[in-house]
Amino acid sequence: MSTAILNRILLITLLAVCAIWLIVPFTMAVLWSLVDPSEPWTADRLLPPVMSFYRWTNMWENSSLQRALLNSYTLAPSAAIITLLLSLPTAYALGRLNFPGRAAMKMVALLPLVVPPFVTSIFFSSLLFQLGLTGSRFAAILLAHSVLFLPFAIRIMTVSFEQVRVDHINAARDLGAPTLARWRVAYLPALKPGILASLLIIFIQSIEEFAIAFIVGIPDFVTIPTLLYASMGQDFVRPNAAVLSLILVVPNVILMLFLERLLKSANPAMSSGKG
Amino acid sequence: MIGKFVSSIAALAISATGAFADDLSQKSWDEIVAQAKNEGELTWTVWYLTDDLRAAVKPFEEEYGIKVNIPDGTVDANRNKLLAEASRETGDFDVFALGFNDFDALDVEKLFVPLSALPEDGDRVTTLAGTDGKGHIVAYWGNQTGVSYDPAKISEADLPQSPAEFEAFWVANPGKFGFNYEKGGSGPSFYQNTIRTITGVDLADGSDSAERLAALEPGLEFFRKNGENYVVTASNADSITRVSDGELWMAPGWEDHVAGLQKRGEIRKDIKFYVPSMGMNGGGNGVAIPANAPHPAAALVFINWLTSADVQTGFNENFGTAPMHAKADDSNALVPNDQRAYTRPWGAEPFRSKLDEAFIENVIQER
Amino acid sequence: MTARNWLKIGLLLLPGIGLILFFIGAVIYMAFVQSFGLYNLAGESEFSLTFWTKIIARKAYFRSVGYSLYIGSVSAIVSVALAYPLALWLRKPFTGSLAVSAMLKAPLLVHGLVAAFLFINIIAYHGIINQAMQGLGLWDEPRRLQNDNYGFGVLLLQIWKNMPFALLLLTGAVQSISDDILNAGRDLGAGNFDRFRKIIAPLSVSAMQAALVIIFIGALADFSFQTIAGPTNRQSLAQYMTFFSSKGRWNEAAVVGVTLMVLSLTGAGILTVAARLLFGGRR
Repeated sequence: MSTAILNRILLITLLAVCAIWLIVPFTMAVLWSLVDPSEPWTADRLLPPVMSFYRWTNMWENSSLQRALLNSYTLAPSAAIITLLLSLPTAYALGRLNFPGRAAMKMVALLPLVVPPFVTSIFFSSLLFQLGLTGSRFAAILLAHSVLFLPFAIRIMTVSFEQVRVDHINAARDLGAPTLARWRVAYLPALKPGILASLLIIFIQSIEEFAIAFIVGIPDFVTIPTLLYASMGQDFVRPNAAVLSLILVVPNVILMLFLERLLKSANPAMSSGKG
Repeated sequence: MIGKFVSSIAALAISATGAFADDLSQKSWDEIVAQAKNEGELTWTVWYLTDDLRAAVKPFEEEYGIKVNIPDGTVDANRNKLLAEASRETGDFDVFALGFNDFDALDVEKLFVPLSALPEDGDRVTTLAGTDGKGHIVAYWGNQTGVSYDPAKISEADLPQSPAEFEAFWVANPGKFGFNYEKGGSGPSFYQNTIRTITGVDLADGSDSAERLAALEPGLEFFRKNGENYVVTASNADSITRVSDGELWMAPGWEDHVAGLQKRGEIRKDIKFYVPSMGMNGGGNGVAIPANAPHPAAALVFINWLTSADVQTGFNENFGTAPMHAKADDSNALVPNDQRAYTRPWGAEPFRSKLDEAFIENVIQER
Repeated sequence: MTARNWLKIGLLLLPGIGLILFFIGAVIYMAFVQSFGLYNLAGESEFSLTFWTKIIARKAYFRSVGYSLYIGSVSAIVSVALAYPLALWLRKPFTGSLAVSAMLKAPLLVHGLVAAFLFINIIAYHGIINQAMQGLGLWDEPRRLQNDNYGFGVLLLQIWKNMPFALLLLTGAVQSISDDILNAGRDLGAGNFDRFRKIIAPLSVSAMQAALVIIFIGALADFSFQTIAGPTNRQSLAQYMTFFSSKGRWNEAAVVGVTLMVLSLTGAGILTVAARLLFGGRR
């Protein structure tokens, strides 16, 4: 069977699976979010008995949703960029230089991941308070997130640095390129997918991080996870939870499409001319 | 370098600033109110019904001109924040709410200030459900655990009242009764009282000797024997959602939680609630003022308002709670007054904790 | 290694490893020491081994350890195993590959809690899956799918959330393998599986290790998926730790916390070495 036909079959199967994987849960969420408070949606009805946008307008106007959206979507990109920058020197050393203890250092880089969130939430926050670093709540949370998500950036960028091709570097040097040009031509193409992957992953981790953002931020700096945990925890109110989930999906979908564009242009094999 | 910071973390041994207590207890109530108005705002952490409580505190805001911030949060995160910032000179919380029994897990005298500056009022509740507030905590919200049920599936006359009747119900209707063991106190209230009724263990005695733990065995065996016939749910909220969905016919719950959800249209209004005659735990939530509160005077004035007879009557009306003021009116609750006599206090620590652990190890994990 | 080289390496490692050691080192030290009775958040502080000895004697402890290890390793291995063929399939662009790629990566952008909530929604007793199965005549009555005893709910959620992450890492790695090598392999008579084992895997083993390790550590320490969709007869380590902390038993919570940390590092090490041994080939 030719590759094209195989591709077509796989594509259709995947689309079918994705329908169940993605579309069904979200349709249910949409329906739940439209449930009007006057009558709860019970199991014997296929659709909610009374539908209205009450929940949407209520959430948008009355809760801290707008503030939380602004805070979270400012914090996450900043954390992503700063963490990436901090990780580059270390990733370069771990990826391209050979020195005794390199494997151990790779393990040390994993430490923030390894500490349970409960432990970090109390102790790390307390550390931040002790060091007097909480003058600006935003800055303190930013610092905390950067330290916590460094492992992702370091690991991903180390892999990227390892993929840089020595023949490219040598060729560039032999042709007399200055350091900056050497970086742009030899290193950057191999690093691009890693850079985008790191930015994406850290962005996601930061947007989902609850414990430290809560402890350092409340009551002035509210983030999205706070609202999520509050509405999906003790007071589990399905329609409100549905509204929140859907409101969060929109910016993320836009982001994802944007990112796919960027990732497509970052295929390292294309940089080698062949591929 | 790390050593230096680690030793500064040792100041997690919280320093209670005695300055606050002397300061305010020297002043007259009028001076405190004046200072409170000056402070202008306060932050009250509470983990449930935040939207409704924001509406409920509006009368306070109007009367005193002091803004009340109620941030969203969860009970664990609020407590973690309290602990993490205990060593700060000024924290973020002014009034801290927690389940009355959960205060036992904290070092109350170090974390909170004594409430001696409140005006004398003998009708407030400072000891609740076996926990002594030690002059630092006062109750503002009374609640009762019981069992919610679907009246279309089971009639009032058939409601099980004792462990034997529950067993009969389970055998006749397997899979229709569910309770949780964590993320909420309703399930624990159910199994603690069932075990107490079967074994005769006195939960008011908190000592956790090996013999007392061994005496729990018949109760644990009861649950193990019937393990196939009941369902274990994930939380308070999960229990009641599944009753409303029609999957379960009965599940333990909190009176105020169920009433609140019904009022907001989240669950069916026809679901009813009762307290079995074997007894189930009643307790409540309390408030305290952290030692490093930024607006201590405002906090005091707020607590005084919160625990007044009028406000407690209002809570009873709006939220179905048991009022925490002797002179308040409690006629609007979900639980009929005759069943309120079946309330029991929560067991004393550390025995209650050991009971929970034994239940998890010997029943939950053996399923 | 000259002193100058060491200095250069030290400076390069400083912003990354340095920051980590500084902050997280202190935090880990605190947790470690608290498990031995010091730095108590409430009550007296004194050195004691009893917290460790008492907890290790408990059945519940080892059950939690076993269960968490199971969830961690299965999530990691299955996520990577699913991601590899997908990464290879998407290596070369074809009609619709962009859409497929986007759809596969969509779960990355859905918040974990939201995913758990959506999942519970559709497997609820009267939820859409039960209704569909009954409608198709496959089941007579609704089945209780929630909180199943084998942790399939949690595993499904973990894989749903983590497979795109593995896909992200592996895509970059397999795309950097140039066609010359693969063609040479095919010309020399290597079949599909051989080409994977001997060419593709060794060249992407670094990305595979990174994906395995990160997913393992995350799934091992999972709390929210477990408490919403997990089996009710088992506790994950994070759940067990929260049980202690909510009762104010900080030292025992610290013991479980340190266990989690040790298991994470050990498991990460084992997965790294295993990946290299199985797939590393000769470097």
